[in-house]
Amino acid sequence: MMPEISLELILYTTALGLISIGLAGVVLSRHLFRMVLALVIAEAGANLMLVLAGYRWDAVAPILTTLGEHPPMVDPVPQAMVLTAIVIGVGIQALAVSILIRIRQRYGTLDRSQVAERMDAEIADTAGIPRDVSQESPLGERPLPSLPDSTVEIRGGHS
Amino acid sequence: MSDLIVLPLVLPLFGAFLLPIVMRTSISIGAWIGPAILAYGCWILGDQWMSGTALPFSLAIGGFAPPMGINLYIDSLALLFAFAVQLLGLLFWPFKIDQETARRQALMLLLVAASTGLALSGDLFNLYVFYELVAVATFGLIAASGSSAAYASTIRYLILSGIGSVLTLLGIALIYSQTGTLNLAHLAQLAPEQLNNKLGLTAFLTILIGVGVKAELFPVNTWAPEVYATAASRVSAFLAGLVSKLALLIILRLLVLIFHQPEAVQVMLVLGILGVITGELAAWRAKDVRRMLAFSSIGQLGMIFIALAIPEQGGLLAVLALTFHHLLIKSGLFMLADGWGGAIEKLRGAAKRSPLAAAIFVLFSLSLIGMPPLPGFWAKFTLITQLAAQTSPLYLIGLTVFLLATVIEAAYLFRLAALLYGPAAEDTPIDTIPKPAGLSLATASLFGIGLLAAALFITPVGDLLSHVAGQAANADLYINTVFAGTGGSQ
Repeated sequence: MMPEISLELILYTTALGLISIGLAGVVLSRHLFRMVLALVIAEAGANLMLVLAGYRWDAVAPILTTLGEHPPMVDPVPQAMVLTAIVIGVGIQALAVSILIRIRQRYGTLDRSQVAERMDAEIADTAGIPRDVSQESPLGERPLPSLPDSTVEIRGGHS
Repeated sequence: MSDLIVLPLVLPLFGAFLLPIVMRTSISIGAWIGPAILAYGCWILGDQWMSGTALPFSLAIGGFAPPMGINLYIDSLALLFAFAVQLLGLLFWPFKIDQETARRQALMLLLVAASTGLALSGDLFNLYVFYELVAVATFGLIAASGSSAAYASTIRYLILSGIGSVLTLLGIALIYSQTGTLNLAHLAQLAPEQLNNKLGLTAFLTILIGVGVKAELFPVNTWAPEVYATAASRVSAFLAGLVSKLALLIILRLLVLIFHQPEAVQVMLVLGILGVITGELAAWRAKDVRRMLAFSSIGQLGMIFIALAIPEQGGLLAVLALTFHHLLIKSGLFMLADGWGGAIEKLRGAAKRSPLAAAIFVLFSLSLIGMPPLPGFWAKFTLITQLAAQTSPLYLIGLTVFLLATVIEAAYLFRLAALLYGPAAEDTPIDTIPKPAGLSLATASLFGIGLLAAALFITPVGDLLSHVAGQAANADLYINTVFAGTGGSQ
């Protein structure tokens, strides 16, 4: 006997699945553009969740055609909210992509750790913090180990 | 005229869209629009406070009474925050007049409008919309400083903030699927029956992490040091001083009105403790002033989260005291960082170059550490007595960490103060030592004067804060105000 799987359960699972895929994508991607795309997927999941929150399976679209008696209607509030959330999401994604273009122009890369490294180096340079350890050369090749606190500083930038 | 309260929210929004058009025809007229709107906003809100309008009151927007329609809820706390938003918007106004700053001014107005909305809104979804609006304006303002590092820090902040908004939206969806309403007062009525369960706890935690991105909550605060290091000082001051506190205000309202589970409070307490430890230790290791201030603000906000985890009204008083104290101090310190922003080592002997700036820095440091009779002492003292009164061991851990953090704070702040008053390095002529710009120094002095005034009139300030805390802690008052006072105000 197969247990009966309702459409509602499938949809809720889809919503949570989309959110999980998106969040995993943000955490695991190395490329900044993929991180933005993963965010888009996660947002789709959250929006689906919101639509499901007000959906009724036995109801019609919430448009009043006749006065007086009318069949049960789907809750229109979550749908209005999802519209708002979609608009906000698209705006932020457009902004994100335009910033990505600028970063690509300036740094020549969109790799997450390379961008972070260059950003840290630029912040340190602007502040005028002397860099006693070169960012490029591996630490193992030095005859003497460099200052421990400055190596931690470099690794800290990747987090 | 309580209806006027919408103007500080609507006018900056309107001005933000009007400004780029006016600036195209006449820059000299356009330059006055923003400051005029903000000054008018200050005046309206100040007038509300002074004229003794019966607080709290609720204002239904669009002619539908809650819970059907949406409403603004104005109590002393909301009014205080809204006033602070307008005033700080004016103090941190980008005054330079050219086409480039026209955009920055428009974004600043947008940020002020959205922040005012966050302070006043009485509806969960509107809070979400204003929260996103704050985020968009913030991204623009950070990126506007134009350096490559600013773009990089903006995109990293944007992605983290995007995760936050997905989580917040998920929490809102969970709450709506359980209760069918998003009006805070209505939710407060329904919460004891419908949200006092695992689902309610999940919803709170997702919203806590989601909103916590802006409030610099422990695991989601990695954006803070890089953003504050790359953005313009005025923007950093506004973000660290005010926007983080507005995110806290959302969490405060949710805790008071809706979520009373002990687990919710415990999670927040643990995250707050971790925030204090990581923030203060990182600040101690930081080598440049901006990142030191950023990490210190993470630590300070962790302390506020610890205070927020105290269930009684006294905890709320500690929250407000720490919040407004940190608002004054961190805004002022970031104004000093405008010019002093570089490596700490470069500031050797800076007291000779700019004695006033060094004196203000020492004043702020002493208050931040909690030296009596400065207001910081009373804020910390309130928190300590409240923590010591709790029986759960977790609160005692919080107290220990809090005291240790104060020692670390003293270590890194006094280290910088010693450098400032120490002798200059031999090979640097005194003219090359950095010095805060005139306007920034004047703004920082204003915050210093505010701090001294609060120290002089500590009794009335304390009374005022406990009055505000009492009003904010009263969930029944919130419900009754929203459902009784909306009929005639349209």
